[in-house]
Amino acid sequence: MKLVQEHRLLLYKVCRVYCFTEADRQDLFQEIVIQLWKSYPAFRGDSKFSTWLYRIALNTAISDLRKHKRRPSITSTDDIPPALPEMTWPGEEEQQLQQLYAAINRLSDVEKALVMLYLEDKSYEEMEEIMGINQNNLRVKMNRIREKLRKMTKEATYGIR
Amino acid sequence: MELDSLKYVWRTLGTQPASGKSPEEIRALLQRRSGGIVTRMRRNLTGELILIAATYTPAILFYFLDFEGRLSGIAWLFILLLAILAVYFYRKNQLLKAMQCTGCSLYSNLQRQINTLKKYIKFYVWSGTIMIPVMFILSWLIIRQKFPAAPGADLFYQLSGTPWWQHPLVWAVFLIPFTVGIYFVNLWYVHRLYGRHIRKLQDLLREMDEE
Repeated sequence: MKLVQEHRLLLYKVCRVYCFTEADRQDLFQEIVIQLWKSYPAFRGDSKFSTWLYRIALNTAISDLRKHKRRPSITSTDDIPPALPEMTWPGEEEQQLQQLYAAINRLSDVEKALVMLYLEDKSYEEMEEIMGINQNNLRVKMNRIREKLRKMTKEATYGIR
Repeated sequence: MELDSLKYVWRTLGTQPASGKSPEEIRALLQRRSGGIVTRMRRNLTGELILIAATYTPAILFYFLDFEGRLSGIAWLFILLLAILAVYFYRKNQLLKAMQCTGCSLYSNLQRQINTLKKYIKFYVWSGTIMIPVMFILSWLIIRQKFPAAPGADLFYQLSGTPWWQHPLVWAVFLIPFTVGIYFVNLWYVHRLYGRHIRKLQDLLREMDEE
């Protein structure tokens, strides 16, 4: 419980990256917490806790492939999940972040995971541990993603295709 | 957009004073039902098991206790069917348990899910197909024991005067096309249930493999 609380921001980021609606984010957050709870007894400390946490969160977000709800289907007030805290940032940073999320949303699920880990300043070694992709391949993929994001920004700014 | 320039913005997210969830809220989350695909599959399996047990148990008790135990043979046949179904449920549950390893790397978890799901599908199709003739023969035995055939009333009674080797032949002529048909129906149904999921997982794995 304490560990989930300590790392909740990391979990929110995963939910924010993989879900479009608030209801989906709540569902995913809940699912990740359940998976963490279930898997914790098997955690032997072979890897860093954050590495293990990322594995659980990304595995749940990517391979579970739950249908995304268009509208939250809440029927009773008891079912209303407690809201995730709204995270706000001062003007320019917020704008940049919105742009970043908009761009990330256009990436594939695997690319989203890589961007997230990169932004979290994870080393290629750690990324390999989390993703299971060898470091050379990771470097190639990261370069491709950088290029893709640059292209997307150009398209968005100048309408160039 | 340069990713490196966004690292700072991204990191400030982690330093924002977030009110977050209290331990009570997190505990409340854990009380809810999981919506994960494997958990749902396991829940459905438990539902099926309860339904089968609830249907078969009264029937078994009925044939053991009623008719002064003269029809206990039928109850034993039901128990045999239940034993076959228990193996079926056990195997399915084992496969579902092995399907996920959320603590593994994304790649090995995907690989594991695909392999186990393929085994699950194969088992689903074959057990569902083989179970049909087995159930058919056992049901026929049950009916035959309960209602001894009247002359001319059924095909297999009429066969009683024919050589022994003709009996399995008649069964085969009747059951093989039926079983083949069931096989294809099962195949279609299973792919309708899990086909898209497995394709999506394969696409993810392919993307991770690409250099």
